[in-house]
Amino acid sequence: MYQSFIGLEIHIQLLTESKVFCGCTNRFGDEPNTNVCPVCMGYPGVLPALNAQAIRLSYVVARALNCEMSPQAVFERKNYFYPDMPKNYQISQFSSPLGRNGWIDVAYNGKTRRVRIHEIHLEEDAGKMIHAGDMSLLDYNRAGTPLLEIVTEPDMEFGEEAEILLQDFRRTIRYLGVCDGNMEEGSMRCDANVSVNLEGRGLGRKVEIKNLNSSRFVKMALNYEIGRQKEILDKGGKVVQETRLWNENRDVTETMRTKESAHDYRYFPEPDLPAFVPDAEFLAQVDRGLVELPAARRERFVKDYGVNEAAADFLINEKGTADFYEEVAALGADPGAAASWLQFDVRKILNRENRELAGSPLTAARLAQLLSLLSGGRIHGKIAKQVLEAVFAEDKDPGLIIREKGWEQMDDAAELAALVDRALAANAKAAAAVKAGDAKPLGFLVGQIMKATQGRAQPQMVQELLKEKLGI
Amino acid sequence: MESPFARWRVLSDAAARKKYEAYVKEADANIGAFLEFDAGRPEGRPGGCLEGVPFAVKDIIAVKGFHLTCGSKILQNLVSPYTATAVEKLAAEGGIVVGKTNMDEFGMGSSTDNSALGKTNNPWDGRRVSGGSSGGSAAAVAAGMVPFALGSDTGGSVRQPAAFCGVYGLKPTYGAVSRYGLVAYASSLDVVGVCACSVGIARDVFELMRGQDEKDQSSLDPGPDAPGPDAKVIGVLGGDLGLDPAVERAYRAAIGFYKSKGFELKEITLAMAEYYVPVYYTIATAEASANLARYTGIRYGYRPACAENPEELTRRARSEGFGDEVKLRILLGTYVLRSGFQDQYYQRAQRLRQAIRADFDNAFTRADVILTPVFPTQAFLRGQGGLDQFQQKLADRFTTAANLAGLPAFSFPAAVEDGLPVGMQFLAPAFGEARLFEVVRLYEENFPRPLPPRYKPEWS
Repeated sequence: MYQSFIGLEIHIQLLTESKVFCGCTNRFGDEPNTNVCPVCMGYPGVLPALNAQAIRLSYVVARALNCEMSPQAVFERKNYFYPDMPKNYQISQFSSPLGRNGWIDVAYNGKTRRVRIHEIHLEEDAGKMIHAGDMSLLDYNRAGTPLLEIVTEPDMEFGEEAEILLQDFRRTIRYLGVCDGNMEEGSMRCDANVSVNLEGRGLGRKVEIKNLNSSRFVKMALNYEIGRQKEILDKGGKVVQETRLWNENRDVTETMRTKESAHDYRYFPEPDLPAFVPDAEFLAQVDRGLVELPAARRERFVKDYGVNEAAADFLINEKGTADFYEEVAALGADPGAAASWLQFDVRKILNRENRELAGSPLTAARLAQLLSLLSGGRIHGKIAKQVLEAVFAEDKDPGLIIREKGWEQMDDAAELAALVDRALAANAKAAAAVKAGDAKPLGFLVGQIMKATQGRAQPQMVQELLKEKLGI
Repeated sequence: MESPFARWRVLSDAAARKKYEAYVKEADANIGAFLEFDAGRPEGRPGGCLEGVPFAVKDIIAVKGFHLTCGSKILQNLVSPYTATAVEKLAAEGGIVVGKTNMDEFGMGSSTDNSALGKTNNPWDGRRVSGGSSGGSAAAVAAGMVPFALGSDTGGSVRQPAAFCGVYGLKPTYGAVSRYGLVAYASSLDVVGVCACSVGIARDVFELMRGQDEKDQSSLDPGPDAPGPDAKVIGVLGGDLGLDPAVERAYRAAIGFYKSKGFELKEITLAMAEYYVPVYYTIATAEASANLARYTGIRYGYRPACAENPEELTRRARSEGFGDEVKLRILLGTYVLRSGFQDQYYQRAQRLRQAIRADFDNAFTRADVILTPVFPTQAFLRGQGGLDQFQQKLADRFTTAANLAGLPAFSFPAAVEDGLPVGMQFLAPAFGEARLFEVVRLYEENFPRPLPPRYKPEWS
């Protein structure tokens, strides 16, 4: 029997205002080489100055991932030449990273596995080099933007676990507001490593996999790679220690470089930056930056609001949705109804219109009002859905909408009685049939009245009145 | 009291400026202190204490609009897009940068002959070197072209040329002056220093430049326990120091002077002295190997005419752009940082550096300041009779200590022997610059700065 060992190296771009060692704007998509200055362009004589926001966000992540926080985070120079790296060394951390020995729980296949975090360190990102024909073009807008690297121990066994870890991690960093976690656009990047060995024999020969642009590819690449390595071992072969690339068109991994990198980065402490020593005030700030994380929130939603697991999963997926939901519930709406409306009706409209809940015309107050109109019997379910559509279309309060449109439920007994009489008169045959003991046409009669009132009649009252008049 | 700059407001009106420019042009034709000179730049803030006062800046310190060559072919075409903090502070007081001075390439050398862009002759004897690496700054001050010039001191690069040219040379406490805008040679050793024509000017310039700077997170203000200005006990070195006779005589004379003024002279032993030079060259080259990695011709600087790919561009720019001494130090630094060898070299040097600091902490419990020679020789000749590159490195044994320990040191013209100045230096505990100025001011009062015979403009 074989055992596989999977570890991940995750990079996230921190959502800071400015770059990690200079005042340039940290933003993507701008004209090439516009968010640059002598510092991030590596001009002679400039010095890095550590961005307080970047180090704070880094410690927030370390804290959220249960790391021991270093009392002294040391920056080091990692030396190698690459045209997109202005200084030809990267300021990173090596001997004393800011966080160590953390963990993240991964629930898969009914089991929860605790995956250890080896370390978390802060570094600067490089620029981008694009080869265009016989030219190489460089854009340094990204150079010097803050990058946080999270390295796990090889504690996972299946590609699925890696996928779940990434999804949970992504949710966590989005909750913390430190990164938008967009793997397609590269604000979150992941390299995976995997080795296979006979059970009980410890780690095998490690293969690293790059070019993984989604958590699904991470899963697919790892499972492919585990299969490939098992096959080699089955045949008595040896796995080559190498770096492989995921080919997303062919769904296979391919050799990138076999030569076990003889890269000597010649790390040494960055003399331009003193070690960062977090004080009590800083740590208190870090604590304030922590929010209730998705797993805890999921548990609380099930317990406190009585929603089912699927609804809880949906609600906590985005922090904005969960916050919205709690606001609606706090305004007195039935938690079950609110969950169901968000999960189905609201989501349907958002998907159709391809928009986010945040910034849409539907505020928590409006949804709460809608649910209160519904539960108070002022409108019924079908109208409520129309009202929801109208809120999106017209950006108005539900109360105002039903008043303007005259959608308020008809529950005046005398008014309804008159309608019932008219309906019975117009449908004498159906009325006779009911009287004769056939209950089926009753629904037809109710439907006629609903149609006549564009759905506004209170259906129970209509039914009662019909029964009364027909003497059944 | 009259400002020490009063005579130096040579740029305050057009007539004075013309006279000044003519003098510099003539003097520098023989000396070659400046790589770039332009006294016609917009004046600094009026009303400041440096109003109308010219000063020069070593070409390793950034001044917007001036070149920033570092004495290297690789940066020969670079015009700085920004200004160093130290220079900005002086400009804010009205000081006017008139030019950039010659230097050993990237600060690596003791003669300024390692400049790729020109030679700087010693104002006392044109056959001799001006010292280095801030040779242009020291020569410009010595020849009366400026009252002061900024330099950088990584292992003696302000003090040694100051000694060779007969001017005052201050190496401040590490971190006392912002390094922002000082091109890094060895970041943990580099400081912005001053060559000056008087103690008062050195002191005033330092006071204007000092202070914590948010752009340099290694900079700091003195703490409440900074040493006071008074010195009573002077530590001196015993035994055979391996000095040239002229330097030995000057050292003994300086000791005698202070004894006659009532100081207590105490012989001290610096047990770590034999390690200064090897530790210095290990740490300095290690840091340099990283600091100089950015020069590839891709974003600025020398670019070869053609290259097949970025790697070749980088390789050729560096092969063609750097001089031999710079290449040697990059190779040495790369060597000492190799993984598996760090413990033997770089880490070991760091441990020894700690011991050197401790050695000085200990010494300063017994003495208030320490008096030592700056260099074992006077300004040496070029070629035959001079010092080769290796001998020059060994001769850094008196200057590198202050850099390794982060201490302030101040060199001063102590004597003229055989027609050439001899420099001595005082070292003080960290942030003890005031003490250095006091103790050297006493010497200056008795022995004013000697002027090189050929260069005595009216304002100097």
